[in-house]
Amino acid sequence: MADISKDILQKIKKDEVRPYPKQYFLLKRSVIWTVFGLSILFGSIACAVAIFQLRYAEWDLYKHLSHRPLEFALLVIPFFWLIFLLGFTGFAFYNFRRTEQGYRYRTLWVILGSIAISVIGGGIFYATGLSERLETAFEHNVPFYRDLQERKQRVCMSPGRGLLAGKIVEIISEQKMQIEDLQGNIWVIDINDTIWKGRLIPAQNLKIKIIGEMKGQNRFVANEIRPWKGCRGQGRNRTRLLQLECDS
Amino acid sequence: MNDYENMSDEQLVQLSLEDQDCFYYLMKRYDIKILRYIKRLTTISQEEAEDIIQEVFIKVYRNLNGFNRKLKFSSWIYRIAHNEIINQYRKTKLRLAMIPSNIEDQANLIDSINDTIEINGAYENLEKDERVRKALAELPDKYREILVLRYLEDKSYDEISDILRKPPGTVATQINRAKTSFKKIAGRHQLNTGIVK
Repeated sequence: MADISKDILQKIKKDEVRPYPKQYFLLKRSVIWTVFGLSILFGSIACAVAIFQLRYAEWDLYKHLSHRPLEFALLVIPFFWLIFLLGFTGFAFYNFRRTEQGYRYRTLWVILGSIAISVIGGGIFYATGLSERLETAFEHNVPFYRDLQERKQRVCMSPGRGLLAGKIVEIISEQKMQIEDLQGNIWVIDINDTIWKGRLIPAQNLKIKIIGEMKGQNRFVANEIRPWKGCRGQGRNRTRLLQLECDS
Repeated sequence: MNDYENMSDEQLVQLSLEDQDCFYYLMKRYDIKILRYIKRLTTISQEEAEDIIQEVFIKVYRNLNGFNRKLKFSSWIYRIAHNEIINQYRKTKLRLAMIPSNIEDQANLIDSINDTIEINGAYENLEKDERVRKALAELPDKYREILVLRYLEDKSYDEISDILRKPPGTVATQINRAKTSFKKIAGRHQLNTGIVK
């Protein structure tokens, strides 16, 4: 057999083949780790909003709805954000596998590890209030997301079972106000003995949920009035959220 | 020349980066092994195999600065060879070997399998080997490759893990599955088998 190594060396010399510089590999590794890090970061943000939505899901409304427990759970679970989390986890996994030693770890552990880091990161973001701001920003800037959330809120239209949702049209007196429900019907609401939850201040155009009892055609006695988005945001973003709800 | 022979692969990598001629000694250590590996996995001619090995060594040379010193150099070069075989397979649909084409390799692989998979029954050696050969031919590519690396190239699980970029646990599982799969196929060829380990 001819000396194949000698032939190859000659070809390398003739074609002036040169090794790629160290910086090329450094850059390649950095890009992979950066994309991995960003995937975990975005996964954490998605997880933060999912935690936020689960934390403020109004599980107690279940008794006012005609849905089965599973249907109700499906409505409350923040699939949108969980799909994001899974997508970014997949992306993180793909990039981790492309790192120098990433292939040595089992798929299941890499995926579970990525999810665990995202959940911890999500918990930190949630604690900082970022998730609340992000969700609000999404609702106001992403029509698809707004429609999705509104579709979820429409289940609150169940006056026969004591649940009504809509927008305050007029505050007639301290005992009465008028609302337009999600289907465009006008209701007169008795607010004489009503508990206003979530530090709500009645105002025109404010979106609310009402728990109470239907008393005839388009008349409703409110036992409890809650903010449109549930009793969330008792903290720093509360005023801004209410303002945004009134504006929209 | 003697100095180069006593050097480790890693030292030769470093020297090759400084002096192109040193790369010759690195290639010389692996040219026969890699050529044999290519031929064990494919049914191509000597010339085609030499074209592939040329691509492999040029890639190795281009990527010398990216060699991860946590790996054995031999694992790294086998990985590049493995990837190049797959690339060529995709590009030209080169023929992956149904079984090692070399008679001696067939015998070695059959012997290795016979050592780990107990084949019972009173077969004449030649008849048994022919049946084992047919059973091997029916194994999926991924199982055949892992058996070639394990039993013909004599690679450890960790080295196979580095070559195929799979977790060591997965490598162990695949070797076991390859044996189990072989056992099932062997059954169809009227070979009574029992896995020894």
